[in-house]
Amino acid sequence: MITAKGLYKRYRNTVAVDHLSFDVKPGVVTGFLGPNGSGKSTTMRLMLGLDYGGGETLFDGQAFDSIRRPMNEVGALLEAKPFHPTRSARNHLRMLAAANRISDARVDEVMEFVGLGEVRRKKPKGYSLGMAQRLGLAQALLGDPKILLLDEPTNGLDPHGIHWMRDVLKRLASEGRTIFVSSHLLSEMQLMADELVVIGRGTMIFNGDVATFVREFTQSTVVVRGPEVAGLSAALEAAGASVAAGPTGELVVSDLELDKVGHLAFTEGVELHELSSRSASLEEAFMSATGSSEQFVAQEPVQPIAQEGGTADE
Amino acid sequence: MSDALRFEWMRLRTLRSTYWLLGVGLVASALIAVLITLVVNVVGGEEAPMDEMLAFALNGGAAFGIPFMAVCMAIIGIFATGHEWRHGTIQPTLTALPQRSRLILAKVLVVSATAVVATVVSLLINLGIVFVFWGEAPGLLDDPLNQALPGYVVYTLIYTLVGLGLGLLFRGVPLALVVIFLVPLILEGLISGLAMVPALDWLVPVVKFLPFSAGAQLMSTSTFEGEPVVDFDLFSRWAAGGVFAVFAAIILGVAWYLFKKRDA
Repeated sequence: MITAKGLYKRYRNTVAVDHLSFDVKPGVVTGFLGPNGSGKSTTMRLMLGLDYGGGETLFDGQAFDSIRRPMNEVGALLEAKPFHPTRSARNHLRMLAAANRISDARVDEVMEFVGLGEVRRKKPKGYSLGMAQRLGLAQALLGDPKILLLDEPTNGLDPHGIHWMRDVLKRLASEGRTIFVSSHLLSEMQLMADELVVIGRGTMIFNGDVATFVREFTQSTVVVRGPEVAGLSAALEAAGASVAAGPTGELVVSDLELDKVGHLAFTEGVELHELSSRSASLEEAFMSATGSSEQFVAQEPVQPIAQEGGTADE
Repeated sequence: MSDALRFEWMRLRTLRSTYWLLGVGLVASALIAVLITLVVNVVGGEEAPMDEMLAFALNGGAAFGIPFMAVCMAIIGIFATGHEWRHGTIQPTLTALPQRSRLILAKVLVVSATAVVATVVSLLINLGIVFVFWGEAPGLLDDPLNQALPGYVVYTLIYTLVGLGLGLLFRGVPLALVVIFLVPLILEGLISGLAMVPALDWLVPVVKFLPFSAGAQLMSTSTFEGEPVVDFDLFSRWAAGGVFAVFAAIILGVAWYLFKKRDA
């Protein structure tokens, strides 16, 4: 269980993290979502005492810097390649293990587990980003901790690696561990996370389960396509709908149900080629939730019409 | 604390550069010893007292202003702290060992012990060389060598801690290297030189406080004979060592304080 209270960080004139409070529960994967530059990494660094700011974070009731041999309680993966280039990967882990009384046998075990067994005596400077991420996960898992904090762990992994990481984290959560994993890859979170903490510009946007997030930040719309649909706009608006023109001439209707839109088209005598409802994916909910707080767009805009539940494009 | 010491010892001995720097320091010091003993054998020891020549041979020329062991150990000190930022390892280090003062204390203890042991080993190697070429070590246990040789060990230790402090202060390697080479080898020599210019004689009282020059007094074996060009009124051996130690303590203290206070 992680309890974060009033996390706050200011850099000169910029408030990077603005009084964030949230709980991360054991037994589920909690996704930490936000656009690039929204303060995810700073929040994680604050939680671990790497950066100083306001607020406090308790890991099963203890502040991180008061935990003796913390790798046995909390595993962390923050940066992509925090390794000395010429110290072998195995020695890097042995060094960290030495501070936490973890055996060499455990070092070899986690290296096998993350798939680096054969290259464990190689130097990390020859590692790809994906291999470095695996080494980072091995580092986090070294003390078999009950709590994991992972900052963008899927960065640099190939599709197979992403799938593997997802399965690993889900399995670790199912063992009752507390998993807090940040990402800007929303489709990834949709497949992996049960709970979400969503931030934008350092402030809390949402904290709850994934379905609620989608429900709260999306509205279903009706797509109307046909040769003369523009003529239907006035009648739809008169019926109380909000109407927007889509990129290929279709109408995107909100605030009016599908059957009522169909009935109106029938009574107005407008020929239709398409009448469909569209419900937003997590990605769209995210865009809607963080739209005003986004500094850099994290992903390509979603397709105009998405299937319910969205698609995983990894 | 024992966890932190285990960590730092593992960090130090899994780094290739540690072995390179130890090797270079020991070999360079030994070569200087060979050179000095051979030169004395060829030209005879009349030009300088044998005990002074013996000191030069044993400390590998450190008293000449070429302190190979001290510089190599100082680089090990710089790497102990500076590498953490240069390679971003401070993040995993602090997630494995979040008590910052414990971490720095462990670095100071392990690197200091390494520097002292390496310097004593270097002294023993050089003593062996002296015995090979001279068959004796005149005045080894007498004054001033009985103070100058421990002084050399202390000098190397303080030099090392200055390096460790600079790496921590600058949170990186390059700037710390520049300072550790530039200040003793160029800047202090320049100030001492300029102080001899009559128009700049106000620099004279400053000279005895130049930290690395003061530190070199720890190794001195003789007082200058004859009239000096300028009397710098230098401190005695251990008082001058105190100047060097205070300098190291200030650097390390400021760096330590900032490390406790700043984001990692």
